[in-house]
Amino acid sequence: MSGELLRRMRPSLGTLVELRVEGLDAVRATRACEQAFAEIATIHRLMSFHESGSDLGRLHRARVGTPVRVDARTYEVFDRALCIAAATQGRFDPTVAARQVARGLLPRPASSWTPDPAARWRHVELVGRRKVRLARPLWVDLGGIAKGYAVDRAVEILVAAGATQICVNAGGDIRVAGARSETVELRTHTGIAAMPALEVIDAAVATSAGPFHGADGRAAAVHLNGRTRHPVDARRFVTVVASRCVVADALTKVIMAGDSHVALQALEQFDAQARVHVFGQGWLPEGAAA
Amino acid sequence: MKVRWLLPFGIVATPIAHVAFAAQYMTVEQAQRAAFPDASEFVLRVLDATSLAPSGGAPQGWAPKAWQARAGGRELGWLMVDQVIGKTELITYAVAVDAHGAVKSVEILDYREAHGGEVRLAGWRQQFVGKTGADLLELNKDIKNISGATLSCRHVTEGVQRLLKVYNAALRGAAE
Repeated sequence: MSGELLRRMRPSLGTLVELRVEGLDAVRATRACEQAFAEIATIHRLMSFHESGSDLGRLHRARVGTPVRVDARTYEVFDRALCIAAATQGRFDPTVAARQVARGLLPRPASSWTPDPAARWRHVELVGRRKVRLARPLWVDLGGIAKGYAVDRAVEILVAAGATQICVNAGGDIRVAGARSETVELRTHTGIAAMPALEVIDAAVATSAGPFHGADGRAAAVHLNGRTRHPVDARRFVTVVASRCVVADALTKVIMAGDSHVALQALEQFDAQARVHVFGQGWLPEGAAA
Repeated sequence: MKVRWLLPFGIVATPIAHVAFAAQYMTVEQAQRAAFPDASEFVLRVLDATSLAPSGGAPQGWAPKAWQARAGGRELGWLMVDQVIGKTELITYAVAVDAHGAVKSVEILDYREAHGGEVRLAGWRQQFVGKTGADLLELNKDIKNISGATLSCRHVTEGVQRLLKVYNAALRGAAE
């Protein structure tokens, strides 16, 4: 076995996904990357909000209150999402999709109902045997958390294949594994050049999405505070480090929601760290930017 | 998990995206081998203005390349290589199509920051992307993603659609 380096990139998860593996010979590395890309594509197919054949698509077409059987992976992501929603009293809430459809940020799904604006994460029930039940009419978007989960699964596959150093990057949802420290860089508005932001060993890094420009040309935040359903502060930007990418991605939404007390508590509970960038003030540790 | 933050508190810069990098993932030869391991030869086909027209026009400077993969005189499929600009990156990608016209794989070959000239080139290319209503409709249908495609992914997806039109018009069933 040699210490060869293999890098591959493919379009998937609505972004360009990069895999980098070291410590495997070319044949094994190529095979491991194929397996990892295949798993990522499967997770996309299962958890896409856009595809009517996904587990979410089937859930949105079922009758309210009927348990729908989903893939074990979808069930696991639901479990993580509801756990983080509960821990943050709904600042992270995967049921904000109806608001995002209304804002034009998600397409209207094929669904048998009009969502109840008062429906929240607690109306999504995991009823065992991989079945999910919606207690009220609502739409679920697993969005970034599914992307983070796909990154985690890809890393697990590459570790199991025997790679010694790994980096998986799905458009900013990043996880590195291996003994060596890796530098993660951020690109800034001010120029094309990237600046080193942090060094990590065996960790996941996620960042919040930037603002988008609405029909009126004004910038607004993509993310909503899951509890209030109002857009978060568009001048803030968050980077979170956690041991798993699924957690790092969800916590970016929690911190963007702006309730510092809840954010600090969640960071501690999930053993994560964050930096917040506030326009005009620069980088701040979470808690200082309230 | 170990973390060392390199961001000094108070530094003012508005980050918009993660990880700028430049990388070559595969050479054209590696992409050919990966897509068609049984091929004995790859024959370059020159795509002239007539072959490119069905994709929505052949603007000056657009020069995708196509190779036919063969084994003992039998066609195994085609590998097409083109470039798109993502946001500010120049992305070279390859689409492999089997002998029945089904897409076997889409691989990024090269990804790097674009220079001024290339970004200007991208300006007109984006005009020509999805120019007609029919094209736009098709793209919306075909772009499937979890939470909104990034510009880079969208442009690659559009590029793949464009190459498939070229394939259908000029390469499909071609004997030579």
